[in-house]
Amino acid sequence: MKARQHWLVAIGLVLLAAPAFAQQSSPAGRIKVVSGSAFIVRSGGTIPAEVGQTVFESDSLRTGDDGRLGITLDDDTRLSLGPSSEVRLNSFRYAPAQGSVGLAMSFLRGIAVYVSGQIAKLAPDSVRLETPSAIVGVRGTSLALHVVPE
Amino acid sequence: MTFARRVVVLVAVAAGLQWACGPFRSRTPQPKGQATVVILPEADGTVGRATVSNPNGSVELSTARASTRVVPGVAPEAVTIMSEEEVMRRFGAAIAAQPPAPAHFTLYFEFDSDELTAESQRLVSQVQDSVKLYPAPQVAVVGHTDTTGSATANIGLGLRRAEVVRMRLIEAGVDRSAIGVTSHGEATLLVPTADNVNEPRNRRVDITVR
Repeated sequence: MKARQHWLVAIGLVLLAAPAFAQQSSPAGRIKVVSGSAFIVRSGGTIPAEVGQTVFESDSLRTGDDGRLGITLDDDTRLSLGPSSEVRLNSFRYAPAQGSVGLAMSFLRGIAVYVSGQIAKLAPDSVRLETPSAIVGVRGTSLALHVVPE
Repeated sequence: MTFARRVVVLVAVAAGLQWACGPFRSRTPQPKGQATVVILPEADGTVGRATVSNPNGSVELSTARASTRVVPGVAPEAVTIMSEEEVMRRFGAAIAAQPPAPAHFTLYFEFDSDELTAESQRLVSQVQDSVKLYPAPQVAVVGHTDTTGSATANIGLGLRRAEVVRMRLIEAGVDRSAIGVTSHGEATLLVPTADNVNEPRNRRVDITVR
């Protein structure tokens, strides 16, 4: 009986710790523009977006049918979403002194505008913009994208 | 006879409905996973370059509002130019939500010192003015050195320079919580040189306001 309780406590601790590990992804940027319904999707939860909030690697940005959202990443990359849109920030590394930079985003649905930052300048091949039907490579570029959800 | 009449009436009603709903007929459901990509001119009027590719093919976008459409499993369509009106109609909401473009400033230092040059001292108030233009502003202050001295010592010197700039910005009225300070030492030179070269343009602090 006692051993079993220990097991339950151990399992409980692991479950409690799991979200903490999941949140160890690094900060990538900040929310700068919000109107209407706009959210950050993080570790399966949905957080209402507010100006000034930090955006982390592996967050998704999502807007409702009246929503808009704009963020600036730490390498000056800018991303904005129109209504009913979703973009996932798959990875973000910006440590130019260590020669380590990279950015990957998935445009899942709706409309978005991407304006490239320092990463695209330093190492254009390390920027990867994904849509369900194609990959977009950039050379110092502003792009508008529209994606019909799968 | 009555039956034929009914058919005529039904056909007429159907035709009328179809006419009434005319504008919607053009909205055939869009293929799942279809992406439209348009390259936009930069603020300075220049146009970058983008490549849209999948295993079936690839197209390059390199002129203002060059656009392609692509569905899963098929090569991207040939490039067409989207009109400005069409860009605004389809993407206006996302364009309107674009945060302001980050601003960059470079302040220079005297040799082997954390003393700002006289010219750079005057730039501090310009930086402070710029900060006011940004929602939830962030000010990234990065110290750099030339290649005189050891790489380790230069990390320290770069950090001292960045700290000096941080203090100046706070004195000028910038919120201290908005400022982040780091040093690259001699790792990211503005002007590439050999080791142990006294190069004034490398003795700098880069400030990004975003």
